[in-house]
Amino acid sequence: MQELFGVSMNLLMVILLSIFIAIMAVVGFMAWRNRIMLKLGLRNIPRRRAQTILIVVGSMLSAVIIAAAFGTGDTISFSIRDATIQGLGNIDEIVTSARGGGGFQAGGLPYFPRSRFDELQRDLAGFDAIDGMAPSIGGRAPALNLRTSLTDGQTEIVAVDPDFMQGFGEFQSVSGGDFSLNSLSENGVAVNAEAMEEMELRTGDTVRLFLEGQEIDFQVEGVVEDGGFAGANPTVLMPLDRGQALFDRPGQINSIAVSNRGGAVSGAEASEEVATRLRVLFADRGVAEELRVLLNRQEVLSLLEQREETLTGNIQGDIATLRQELQLPQVSDGLIRVLADSAVRGQVLDILGEGGLAQLEGQADTLFGNLSEMDVTEIKRTLLELADAAGSGVTTFFIVLGLFSVMVGVLLIFLIFVMLAAARRTEMGMARALGAKRGHLVQMFMFEGTTYDLVAAALGTTIGLGVGLLLMAFANQIVAGSSEDFRFLYRIEPRSAVVAYCLGMIITFATVVVSAYRVSRMNIVEAVRGLPEVMKPVDEEAISLRLSQLGWSLIRPLVFLARFFIRLAGSQFAGALRSLGAFALWILLVPWFVDIAAALVKFAWPYVLRGWLTLLFGAYITYLGVGPWNQTASFTIGVSLMIVGLGMMLRMAATRWEGITPAIGLLTAVGGAVTLGHGIVASNALSSLIGAGLLLAGLIMTAASQFRKGAMPPDFVDRQAFTFIGLIMLGWWILPFDTLEPVIGDLNGGIEMFFVSGVSVVAAAVWTVMYNADLLLKATGFVSSGIGKIRPVVVIAVAYPMSAKFRTGLTLAMFALVIFTLIVMSILNNAFGNTLSDADEVTGGWDIEATVAPNSPIEDIRGAIEAEPGLNPSDFAAIGGFIVAPVVARQGNAESQRWEGSSVQAVDDGFLNATEYDFQIIADGYGPARQDVWQALKDNPNLAVVSYATAPSQDGGGFGDQGPDFQLEGMTVEDVTMSPIDIEVLEPQSDTMVPYTVIGVLRAVADNSGNILISKESVDAAFPFPVPLTTYRFRAAEGVDVKETSRALESSFLENGAETSVLKEVIDQAVSVNRGFNNLMTGFMGMGLVVGIAALGVISLRAVVERRQHIGVLRAIGYRQGMIQLSFLFESSFVALLGVIIGVALGAIISYNLVQSIANDIPGLQFSMPWLQISVIIVITYLFSMLTTYLPARQAGNVHPAEALRYE
Amino acid sequence: MRGLERPRFLKYIHKWKNLVSFSTDKIARANKIAQDGVELNGEIISASKVFKTYDTGRVKVEALRGVDLLVKKGEMVAIMGPSGCGKTTLLNCLSGLDSTDSGEIFIEDMELHRLPDDQRSDYRARRMGFVFQLYNLLPVLTAVENVEMPLLVSGIGQKEARERSLEMLDKVGLSGWVRHLPGELSGGQRQRVTIARALVNNPAIIWADEPTGDLDSETTQEIMDLMLTLNKENAQTFVMVTHSQEVGQMADRIVRMRDGRIADDGLAAAKNGGAKG
Repeated sequence: MQELFGVSMNLLMVILLSIFIAIMAVVGFMAWRNRIMLKLGLRNIPRRRAQTILIVVGSMLSAVIIAAAFGTGDTISFSIRDATIQGLGNIDEIVTSARGGGGFQAGGLPYFPRSRFDELQRDLAGFDAIDGMAPSIGGRAPALNLRTSLTDGQTEIVAVDPDFMQGFGEFQSVSGGDFSLNSLSENGVAVNAEAMEEMELRTGDTVRLFLEGQEIDFQVEGVVEDGGFAGANPTVLMPLDRGQALFDRPGQINSIAVSNRGGAVSGAEASEEVATRLRVLFADRGVAEELRVLLNRQEVLSLLEQREETLTGNIQGDIATLRQELQLPQVSDGLIRVLADSAVRGQVLDILGEGGLAQLEGQADTLFGNLSEMDVTEIKRTLLELADAAGSGVTTFFIVLGLFSVMVGVLLIFLIFVMLAAARRTEMGMARALGAKRGHLVQMFMFEGTTYDLVAAALGTTIGLGVGLLLMAFANQIVAGSSEDFRFLYRIEPRSAVVAYCLGMIITFATVVVSAYRVSRMNIVEAVRGLPEVMKPVDEEAISLRLSQLGWSLIRPLVFLARFFIRLAGSQFAGALRSLGAFALWILLVPWFVDIAAALVKFAWPYVLRGWLTLLFGAYITYLGVGPWNQTASFTIGVSLMIVGLGMMLRMAATRWEGITPAIGLLTAVGGAVTLGHGIVASNALSSLIGAGLLLAGLIMTAASQFRKGAMPPDFVDRQAFTFIGLIMLGWWILPFDTLEPVIGDLNGGIEMFFVSGVSVVAAAVWTVMYNADLLLKATGFVSSGIGKIRPVVVIAVAYPMSAKFRTGLTLAMFALVIFTLIVMSILNNAFGNTLSDADEVTGGWDIEATVAPNSPIEDIRGAIEAEPGLNPSDFAAIGGFIVAPVVARQGNAESQRWEGSSVQAVDDGFLNATEYDFQIIADGYGPARQDVWQALKDNPNLAVVSYATAPSQDGGGFGDQGPDFQLEGMTVEDVTMSPIDIEVLEPQSDTMVPYTVIGVLRAVADNSGNILISKESVDAAFPFPVPLTTYRFRAAEGVDVKETSRALESSFLENGAETSVLKEVIDQAVSVNRGFNNLMTGFMGMGLVVGIAALGVISLRAVVERRQHIGVLRAIGYRQGMIQLSFLFESSFVALLGVIIGVALGAIISYNLVQSIANDIPGLQFSMPWLQISVIIVITYLFSMLTTYLPARQAGNVHPAEALRYE
Repeated sequence: MRGLERPRFLKYIHKWKNLVSFSTDKIARANKIAQDGVELNGEIISASKVFKTYDTGRVKVEALRGVDLLVKKGEMVAIMGPSGCGKTTLLNCLSGLDSTDSGEIFIEDMELHRLPDDQRSDYRARRMGFVFQLYNLLPVLTAVENVEMPLLVSGIGQKEARERSLEMLDKVGLSGWVRHLPGELSGGQRQRVTIARALVNNPAIIWADEPTGDLDSETTQEIMDLMLTLNKENAQTFVMVTHSQEVGQMADRIVRMRDGRIADDGLAAAKNGGAKG
């Protein structure tokens, strides 16, 4: 894996290592300056072993998640690389003819004279970046082992000149030693290991190939290892001249394989150089010059520059090169290299098309077509790049999903430190009394925390790698179900391990510092008096003090330097050296930067708390999101900050002028009214519901402040302000995603939005709940008042968590977050799983598919079945056939008249009679039933229907990249109706153009093979040559064994290279692989749940210790043992269930939004609650929470009253 | 510490024996007493030959070495003595909060130690009140919630519990502070809440361990006056442990302890005019 989040892994490692070293340097410096605090901090570590272990385990979670994600990414990257290198061997590029290709005459690659290869050899004499070139022919044919009767319908046939194997390495015989094609006898061939496996071919066997109705037998004289020319699929190898005879192409070849200098892996490094040289050789410089002149204009260059910013990887570099080289006075080799690259060509035409330069686009398209006689495919480099991209993609995905667990881990560390501080209140109080400053306490915790952190990150990285290994083992299990040979080979690069360690360490360190700062702010007097924790801001420092701190931070290194000179002058050499050391450390940028940043934050913090700075900052982020960045995340976070800022400002105002409190409620109500209005206008149930809720809450808040007599106590104001913030934020984040689209347009947002919205919505909910906890308390009290004996238990169980709001809030947030992610995952999995649940809608009601080799088609399928003794015609209720071919197409009335790539699926009458594919849209006048459309296609050969992917989507998202280049214009898939659309389809091979009228768009779930479905009749009429059917679909009659019939079909039509599959099995397999990976991901995310549950256990354990004396009192009052136990269990239940309720509710709402938004792209995707799975999640969560709390609860119940009362 | 008193399995055997030997009619009687109390003419508390040893593993402390004590219904007894003489242990053993090694303790004619833990808890909830040193209120509950706790445990309905608690807080002079958390009250106020909590159930016996331990002399006087008034009004039995000579003097009788034994049961002094005299 080379990149993560678009940043090179090498750079990432350097940055993270620098931060790591800087942290260690600063911490080390502080420790050296303040050894007493170091001792105090470190002394705590061995004192309580169990606690230390717990903290280390809690702190390692981030590293575990990150390392597991990296392990997964590296593995995927490595596995694809490995498969690529295994498959290609020394072949780095492939040169093929640029003329022709595609079309209905699917004979594979177009041929060209062998003499072109000889010329090329002469031209490249002395070019040392290439160490081998070989002329070759590649084709396919059905094959049969006469001895075993085993067959393979699509065996590769590779014919290569044995005299040009230099640079590629000789074939390796499976029995050991080199194997040369020169050693084959006149009728001899070699086969690869895969063919040996598939057909049990071995030396001495006769392999029969079926080509153009002929049967040709060859003698197997050698079995060679896969890879290189021998490929990875079943392959028959022969010398070039025999291949030319077999395909009847004397003196011709269809490809030239190129091996670069270096081995199988390092060869790819020279790919750019080789490709440049080759493309320059093949290019027509005159055409290139015309292209240069055409494209070297400001509007094009600026369009290229814009596009460049949106791209990543090699293509970005290529576009940059294109921009530079275009501006040179004449055609350069570099320009030719990029112009001849098909990816670059696609981008350029795309940019011109989108930029409204249709005329330029047409000219460029023609020129590009004439630029080169040969195509150079940098096959290895491309595949290796793909491997890296896949690895990075997977790592990114897992990291983003894992962010939830990382977040939960961060909260746990925070929680642990808050509790550590609670346990050490006296110690801290004493330290303060002896003159320790707050900073000293922060340092003390930091030294201790850093030690835990260093160990935890190492442990976490190791465990994470293990988790990655486990994930990949599961992944192998999942893919083992499908027939592919691909296996994940576990691999972790040392660089990734370093990055994971540093990242885990830095995240935890940051948390430690923040929590150390937080706990140092505890009011000691409050602690001693046993007052409950109160969330209240600390008195702000005077502006003069903050200003001077800021000033000092700016010039601190200079002060050190000045001290150095002063001390040097005063001959205090030791002191001077210290000052110089401090200066050097500070000037190493990071400490200085951190110092300034900290002073800045400290300076600005009071204004952040007052709200106006938060509001301004939020407004700026919002502007960036809508404007320059065009990012959903930035926009939504910006608005959230503005809400927080506004709330804080109202709170500030309310403390000064009490009349303003009703305004907070009124503002909430107004927010609700606006949302409700939107909901009603857009007839959106969710918006209406949120709006109504906000409106009601706002009115209640207004009323509450109206009825409040006298001065507003601070907690009342706080409740109003923070409820305002929480509710509006909640409403804001659970609004349907497209609510504001008409106003702000379509912003870019990816998977990170899942994390951002998840965390925000949970935070807002927890915030609101915690600030209104007393209402909850009253409600619980009211409910439990009817249950007699339970009531005293409930009162205690609810009172404790509600009095330690910060602690409870943290735990609640952890729980809600984890449940939220699990619920969203399972709802989405469920929704996606259900899209394929109706098999008939997917397959069109067919049961079996059979593909045959294009060069040995079946003439009359019905007749052929009757003629086969092993087949019974009455077993088949329906039979349909089709052929798929690549074509180019354009729309008659569209702006761009460029031919764009697509594919046609020409289907026969049998197919049209029986297919059950349904339609997304049916054109006016052709409905209403799907049968009407298929009948129309049958009646009128110039009608067509298109695939779902051919129709654009309203928001431009969805299939985008996966769809064909040719897209319809003037309609979208979201439309209910459409007018018939005229298109033209061009078959490039024969230059035959056929006009069609599109009368329908297929459903997305349909498994159609081509993008434009037409009747074969139209093809037969238009083309001068016969077009064969290459794929058949069969519908089995009632009661027929589909599997058995499928096998019978395959063996009966072996000579035609038939390969059959049972469609239901294919779907089931896809669904099961899909589900397997989804479960894997859910499991990965479920790791956070372990932490959440552990946190409950930790809290309960801690609570037993803290409340010993209270338990004694309760027992003295008359609480039974069981009541004490029950109250502890209730307490955990209260937090767990509240978390579950928040998590499930928010998870369901956000998933609903997600499904609605994805359903625009994938119709058939429907929101439904997988209640069973959700119940399982809830039950497991609750059960394990209770299990972890049971032990502490028992302990609490067993507390002996007399002793507890003595306990101090 | 508790687990170290004797081997764990012995404890279970003991518990099991108790359960078996405890016939149903005894439980029924216990329940009845717990519910209604008994009409006693003589002693409400009677202890004889009570022994109690704390075994910390390293040292054995003989906290009670054969204590005999009788307390009459309605009496206010102060237990005094030097630190470590076993005052609090005696209080804990008498009230059933702690177990004894041997000896008999009858409370309202019932052997509390032979009751299963749950019955004992119920008995405490209905018939006993406790006043401890400071900080023994639940900090997370308001004054009134603290007071109503024993009523709720006794199964009294929420509404009645709240009414009675407010009434009791009014009696101890805290009607203006009912919704405050203990942390927001002064030491004297907190102790009044504790007393209110101890008395709200109209218990037969109130156990007080250093009820004025952390209070200044003025507040001590207030608290003692309050306790004396309640003692007289409701004829409830008060047993309190105290260091303070002044507080002791206010009781009907002073029991003096030394080295785990009763040095002087104060009966003679009481006959000659009582401790107050």
